[in-house]
Amino acid sequence: MTTGDPFTMTGGRVRLEGREVLRGIDLRVATGDMLAVLGPNGSGKSTLIRALLGLVPLAGGRTEIYGVRPARFRDWHRVGYVPQRLTVGGGVPATVREVVASGRVARQSRWRPSSRADRAWVDRALAAVDLTDRARDPAQELSGGQQQRVLIARALAGEPDVLVMDEPTAGVDTGNQETLAATLAGLVEDGRTVVLVAHELGPLEPLITRSVVLEHGRVVHEGTPPPPEGECAKPGHDHVHPHEAADPPAPLRSWSIGA
Amino acid sequence: MTELLQLEFMRIALVIAVLIGLTAPAVGTFIVQRRLALLGDGIGHIALTGIGLGLLTGTSPVLGALVVSALGAVVIEVLRARSRTGGDVALAILFYGGLAGGVLLTNMQGGGTSMQSYLFGSISSVTVSDLYVIAALAAAVLVIVLLFGRELFLLCQDEEVARASGLPTRFLSLLIAITAAVTVVIAMRAIGLLLVSALMIVPVAAAQQLTRGFRATMLLAMVIGVLSAVSGLVGSFEYDLTPGPSIVMVTLAVFVLAVVGGALTRRRAHRAPAEKVEVEAAQA
Repeated sequence: MTTGDPFTMTGGRVRLEGREVLRGIDLRVATGDMLAVLGPNGSGKSTLIRALLGLVPLAGGRTEIYGVRPARFRDWHRVGYVPQRLTVGGGVPATVREVVASGRVARQSRWRPSSRADRAWVDRALAAVDLTDRARDPAQELSGGQQQRVLIARALAGEPDVLVMDEPTAGVDTGNQETLAATLAGLVEDGRTVVLVAHELGPLEPLITRSVVLEHGRVVHEGTPPPPEGECAKPGHDHVHPHEAADPPAPLRSWSIGA
Repeated sequence: MTELLQLEFMRIALVIAVLIGLTAPAVGTFIVQRRLALLGDGIGHIALTGIGLGLLTGTSPVLGALVVSALGAVVIEVLRARSRTGGDVALAILFYGGLAGGVLLTNMQGGGTSMQSYLFGSISSVTVSDLYVIAALAAAVLVIVLLFGRELFLLCQDEEVARASGLPTRFLSLLIAITAAVTVVIAMRAIGLLLVSALMIVPVAAAQQLTRGFRATMLLAMVIGVLSAVSGLVGSFEYDLTPGPSIVMVTLAVFVLAVVGGALTRRRAHRAPAEKVEVEAAQA
């Protein structure tokens, strides 16, 4: 087991097809952070998190996952990655459960079949994104927002310590965003780390503990999100949003109708 | 049928049909999943050069095909991984080179007629020793699918996530390409190199009209593969037709039936959820 911060990048530079996409990024993600990477289109947000995971090579600087360079990192089961995808992908139908179960691969041995524990974690991940009753449906037939939740469940099924998500809210309706916020709130309570790229935070905003803003491949702002204003700033306001209420919010309930 | 089983070449041919029916769709499921449906076709073209080399050097054409198609599969995989835009042109060049090279080499050796049998298959000329080679290769393919299936599923679903899960993606990509090459060689004697790919792809395309999951698709595709290969072979013997194309035509017929059957069942299944979509839309 390696120790250290989930991600540390110093002077990170990335060049893609001759264009400098990241121009010297210093970023430290500590355990328990809920970090939002913000910025306009083309500012290098996705490239940054892909570079953190070692999916794109650095042209300069260095980056470490739990203190180890990505090429030598072995504890991949500690990392869950939710890429930015419009659909689940693949040319053959796969059930929601099959896609989610594939997220366990880093914790499984090639020589052994799936165990009861594996199946239990898949059940949990499905429940966390409220897709238990769609488990046997083909993932490709779900709506865009639901497919996004399948990809999140796939990452959760691996019991990651750090969850890296690329635009989990893009093209997702408010109901799905609130389900996601509830899921992430649970993860943060468990002491896990979340790094997410977002265009707009929406219902995720109250959960964010830190944010960095990228522009032209550089960090132009770093720090805590702006303080709450208006109603939320009043003393005695305990910051309970509708999605954190004990009962699931209305849009969430509608998914189970007829399913 | 009992009359057929008394003929030794027919017994061999039936065993080979079963082996092809099992392996080609099993590998094909991953290839379709990866959206590389023409990979088998390309490997088939390249294998021709291997056969030409085997014939010319007086060694085994099967061995030649195995070595050259495996090398070809590695080159295809490297091209696929390296280039995002020019990849398909590079592949096409490789295919034509393989086909032209194979025909040239075979004609130099004066084996124009045997080339015909490799292009379209000649299952009745397979010998017992060929059968042993084919059976060993088929066993290897099935073991690879069993052992690496979970990893290959994620690789073919989303290569980037596979990398971020710590999977050896380069090794797995080569493994699936080489396994496809081995499958091409298994099937080439029976189906012919120009039609090999059909048995990797069409049963999968048929199965996914009727299934909801990946594993179910693979298993049903293997059932369709075995049934088509055996019935195509028996039918070709009964009606004195060429076995390879007969097998492919049976597979295509199953595909057409599956499309019709799938459309009917889906229409029935969609009637209920349609109301649900309206409920969601009303609440959004």
